Amino acid sequence: MTEFWGYVRADGSVGARNHLLILSGTVYANDICERVADHIAGAVAITHPLGRCQVRPDLRMTRRFLANTGMNPNVGAVVVIDHFREEGMTAEDLAHDIQTATGKPVATVNIRAAGGLIAATQQALYYAADFARMLSDQRREPVPLSKLLFGVECGTSDTTSGLASNPATGICSDLIIAEGGRTIMAECTEWMGCEEWLTGRAVSPEIAARIVAGVKDMENRALASGEDIRGSQPTGDNIVGGLTTIEEKSMGACKKSGSAPIVGYLEIAERPATATPGLYVMYGPGHGAESISSMAAAGCQVLVFNAGGGHTSSHPIMPTIKITGNATSYALMKDTVELDVSGVLRDEITLEQAGRMVFDEVVAVASGRLTKSEALKAHNSFAIHRVGVSI
Amino acid sequence: MKRVFVIEREDNVGTAVLEPIEAGETVEAYGRLTGISVVANQPIPYGHKIALRDIPRGAAVIKYGLSIGTATVDIRAGDHVHIHNVESNRGRGDLAAQQTSQGAES
Repeated sequence: MTEFWGYVRADGSVGARNHLLILSGTVYANDICERVADHIAGAVAITHPLGRCQVRPDLRMTRRFLANTGMNPNVGAVVVIDHFREEGMTAEDLAHDIQTATGKPVATVNIRAAGGLIAATQQALYYAADFARMLSDQRREPVPLSKLLFGVECGTSDTTSGLASNPATGICSDLIIAEGGRTIMAECTEWMGCEEWLTGRAVSPEIAARIVAGVKDMENRALASGEDIRGSQPTGDNIVGGLTTIEEKSMGACKKSGSAPIVGYLEIAERPATATPGLYVMYGPGHGAESISSMAAAGCQVLVFNAGGGHTSSHPIMPTIKITGNATSYALMKDTVELDVSGVLRDEITLEQAGRMVFDEVVAVASGRLTKSEALKAHNSFAIHRVGVSI
Repeated sequence: MKRVFVIEREDNVGTAVLEPIEAGETVEAYGRLTGISVVANQPIPYGHKIALRDIPRGAAVIKYGLSIGTATVDIRAGDHVHIHNVESNRGRGDLAAQQTSQGAES
């Protein structure tokens, strides 16, 4: 049985990190959040352009992304800062959501109520400094791998992605699930064309029906914008590169989900309600930052991002391991890409060996090894999915 | 001998992931399917697929162990397999009904 070393939380979840999160409630609190995080050991800021003048469904989506990110077990404590009172999205609303679900310490600061930006900064610094010392007392403990919620993603895909890094990540996912863990795959745009393979893995007709409906819904939303994402798939570049049909393209992407049964269907950024081992599929777009942010909000402690072309993507609180099957991409991007599995295509290692390399890296990172992006303090990939216009 | 990568044993196509292949060259499968070789009937560009067996018109083209489309003509072992001889099963309810449950050539 494999173990990893994590921070055991009051609600029984286990953090792969012990972040002090400085969470911005609105765009107008972003700069103070960054400044507070800069001044406090171990603090990380999450900022975004939303939180004001959104239609209600869109505002609820923002609240879900922010609150659920605060609930992620990688977060040990939270300071939420907002500047005014936006009904349905105050710092207190976010703090309430996070505390109710997890019991973790959360403080709130309202810039106006504090008496302005300077006073609010001071207030937030006091809270954050206390939390930082409190978190420094916590220690990692060995826990079974069944405590891991693993995320899989792909982007900058190329000829090598579907043949090397995605299948290797799928093997890693199967190994985690065999030990009682769970995996989330989002990006339902990329299920298009291989729904039958996915529905065939669903453990219930209800999940199968939701998979088909999810793809259809994403397709309809794209069509409503005047774009036909299916009619142009595969793209001209894909065809020149050798991809023949949408099925082939989608299967290459979905291979990162391995072969485990699909035991749950999640709405975007929804936290799984069960601890049943297996694959959970999540509604959401192919947009990389939104997609990995939705999986971090769902509670993933570690994510593998398969990047044929290499990538800089890294979530602020969820370690984001990058893998490529393209040796040239690795040579160019090795300061932010952890693993090169191009040996599969040169017949130097088997896919099973590559899958084991990915698995070993995931367990090491879950236990505290910094990703290359974390070592560089590169936190560029927090983004909130939108379902409405700004008003 | 040049080689083409095969991701699952059931596949009837391999992919040129090491280098492009010239017409007339013999290529050998590696990856999860080995012990099979074919002569390329046309050039196979980098990243493109070659048929490892005959795939009759109407049969499934298998990659990842799954159907990625249907042969629109009789494909011979060694043929370049791409949009000129394969069509998607998507959006073709008439064809899909006949072919989704049909294996490659078993």
